[in-house]
Amino acid sequence: MATIEICGLSKRFGNVNAVDDLSFTAREGAVTGFLGPNGAGKSTTLRMLLGLVTPSEGSATIDGVRYADLHEPFLRVGAMLETDAFHPGRRARDHLRILATAAGLPATRVDDVLEEVDLVDAGHRRVKGFSLGMRQRLGLASALLGDPAVLILDEPANGLDPDGVRWLRQFVRTFASRGGTVLLSSHVLAEVAQTVDDVVIIAGGRLVAQSSLADLATRSRPGVRVRTPQVTALHDALTTCGIRSQLVANDVLVAPDSTPEALGLAAAGVGAVIYEMTSEHFNLEEIYLELTATEKPLR
Amino acid sequence: MRNLISAELLKLRTTRAFWAYVAGIVVFVPVSLALSIAVGNDQNPLTTSDGIRGVFSAASSGALTALLLGITMSAGEFRHNTATTTFLITPDRRRVVTAKVLAGGLIGVVLAAVSALLTVSIATPWLHARNVDVNLLSADVVTPIAGALLSLPLAVILGVGIGGVIHNQTIAFTVIVAWTSIIETSLTGFVPEVGRWLPTGAASALGGTWTIEGGLLPFWAAALVLTGYCASAAVAGTHLITRKDMT
Repeated sequence: MATIEICGLSKRFGNVNAVDDLSFTAREGAVTGFLGPNGAGKSTTLRMLLGLVTPSEGSATIDGVRYADLHEPFLRVGAMLETDAFHPGRRARDHLRILATAAGLPATRVDDVLEEVDLVDAGHRRVKGFSLGMRQRLGLASALLGDPAVLILDEPANGLDPDGVRWLRQFVRTFASRGGTVLLSSHVLAEVAQTVDDVVIIAGGRLVAQSSLADLATRSRPGVRVRTPQVTALHDALTTCGIRSQLVANDVLVAPDSTPEALGLAAAGVGAVIYEMTSEHFNLEEIYLELTATEKPLR
Repeated sequence: MRNLISAELLKLRTTRAFWAYVAGIVVFVPVSLALSIAVGNDQNPLTTSDGIRGVFSAASSGALTALLLGITMSAGEFRHNTATTTFLITPDRRRVVTAKVLAGGLIGVVLAAVSALLTVSIATPWLHARNVDVNLLSADVVTPIAGALLSLPLAVILGVGIGGVIHNQTIAFTVIVAWTSIIETSLTGFVPEVGRWLPTGAASALGGTWTIEGGLLPFWAAALVLTGYCASAAVAGTHLITRKDMT
């Protein structure tokens, strides 16, 4: 059982801050969703945690120990980072045999994990004939080989069909319910909303929010969406009144904490023409989009 | 370390590319023998000591292929992204490179032994048929065979080191082919006193593949020079692989 701790972690590539003073924890017995738009620094963070990328500053530890300093790390932490990390001409079973051999694991583990990810029948096939979903399963099998207490999965739902996603959700939930620690990344909150207990949201390499999913849901609140040709004038007027608003399209403005009354008043004040005004209740996904939109992604 | 070496050998055995390299190295032996015995060489006829040496140099004719095989052992891991998992299992990347060097050396010895056996078993009856009798214990036979047993493993190890320096396999291959076929050949042609110190020059001194005007290095010096190149490449490769960010 183990806790993941990221503390003041930064990574600069040239003059780009891919990860910027990031701190969060992932607790044992829980699934932590690591969320952010593409290019937010999720993969770089996970790779620093796994000792594959050297941090510019800060630390990333598992139970207080850096991955590289763990005794037999492959038997404590299982990771799935890429879907194409296989030699295309190698058979799936051989790929796992190589990992088992290097890690000093018995060959029986290969059969165990092939069964666990439902790839027994494809074990003798060369990886180049595998679908993306099958590669994901093989990647997961590689991660599970050492029977680890910690699972780190980068975009694990990518390429899975709806059945695969459901299967993965069940698998990850069971893993955590047995006391395991799971940190999984995604760029879509909806994809993992039914899987995770906690969320860590980053944008532009910086932490935007860390909370339980339940707490994030309580941020759900009413707001107003307005369609007007004078978005800029209305936005300025709202800002003067201390009402927060965001331009979401070239003629649409959203004020998450306001009321139709307040917006109507402000619009009348600047003589803005209103084509459409709706009172809305922002759901989880919108909260997520709003949180991550506050900072510009890197790419 | 034992586990890591076994894993490296398993990595090789489980790809078809490896067996293609082995086939290439084995096929070079009869081809090279046919060139030296059937076609012949006017400067070094089979009746001379150099002629016999040239025939048995077939044992190391797969050296360049062995070097490319070594490159696939290290650069291939970056090409197919398998390096990520390799480093997850063994975060101390120096141990990974060490295992590759040792596994590469081991494979090289086996390939050299196969090439040597094949050379002797084809060349001896063929030469006999052409009324050339060779004493298998003479220096003209023992030297190129011993040379092959040294140069093939060293070639694989040199490849592992080069692949550790140039992580793009295609670029590494191109550089090696350009280096051996253009740069080394012209240097050896124009400045033979430099050429004999270069990897191919040293390998030639071990195997007796071709001669340089002004003479090759003595066997022992060539072995030391080639080992030096291997060690430098392995150290440089280890340094660069250890510092590489696996993004």
